Amino acid sequence: MCNHGTLVVTPANPPNLADLPRGYELPAARFRLSADDVRRYLEAVEDCSDAYGPGPEGPAWVPPLAMAALALRAILEQVELPAGALHAGQEVEFRHPVPVGASLHARARVAQRSEMRGAVVSVMEFEVDEEGSSGPAVVGRATVIASRGEAPS
Amino acid sequence: MSVECVPEVPPLSRQVTQEGIRRYAEASGDYNPIHIDEEYARTTPFGGTIAHGMLVLAYLSEMMAAAFGLDWLAGGRLKVRFRAPARPGDTLTARAEPRRARQRDGQARQVNGERVFEYGIECSNQRGEALISGTAEVVVGRLR
Repeated sequence: MCNHGTLVVTPANPPNLADLPRGYELPAARFRLSADDVRRYLEAVEDCSDAYGPGPEGPAWVPPLAMAALALRAILEQVELPAGALHAGQEVEFRHPVPVGASLHARARVAQRSEMRGAVVSVMEFEVDEEGSSGPAVVGRATVIASRGEAPS
Repeated sequence: MSVECVPEVPPLSRQVTQEGIRRYAEASGDYNPIHIDEEYARTTPFGGTIAHGMLVLAYLSEMMAAAFGLDWLAGGRLKVRFRAPARPGDTLTARAEPRRARQRDGQARQVNGERVFEYGIECSNQRGEALISGTAEVVVGRLR
């Protein structure tokens, strides 16, 4: 259980993204992208470039945006997204290539929160580290706009 | 000092289909009904399903990865706004234009001793509407 100020988070009680205060740190998430995961991702986005190199079981490197997308997903699974929440903006920086199958660790916090005409604008800062590596492989910021008070989808 | 011109990046086109959106939902784990539940999506202000923003952004990242290979994986940056949704049936075109105003004579900028190419990027639909716009940068030579 994570106790953050007055917000008590348990697995059965995920907080609503719109309620998270600035500075709130979401529980870290661990994930791994296998050769099959990467192949499935590349098929889904129809990416047939050879930028990810040949590896023994397919691509050698993880497509960096796949890491960002999967990290955001792993992080946002820990909160309730209000119905109609919109992904309004994205910044992402790729710092070093990550081999397929590497163990990854995603962390995120609410960097900014504001309210505007009944909507909550949350900016989530996140980073993805490869286990055993000295610095993050991917860092980014996602801007999500959510209406206040709507039931989650 | 050596001079390196900012290269052109070939555009890329993709067709958005509901099947493709479903495949992306499975690959990314993002099953938000606005993307995959047509009945639900009809009740929303969008009036129908829309593609994941990160799926459309993937087209821009692929375009840059195809042009720069490992340099993109080791030093790529994207900063975008999602302006309008992509819908099944749309034909999208991703483009990158060198940012001439920031790169004198079309040459790479030097930042902390690294060469940086800068582009304005956009992904638009068949009507020319910009769905995503922003900037891309790539630091070249970091892995050499």
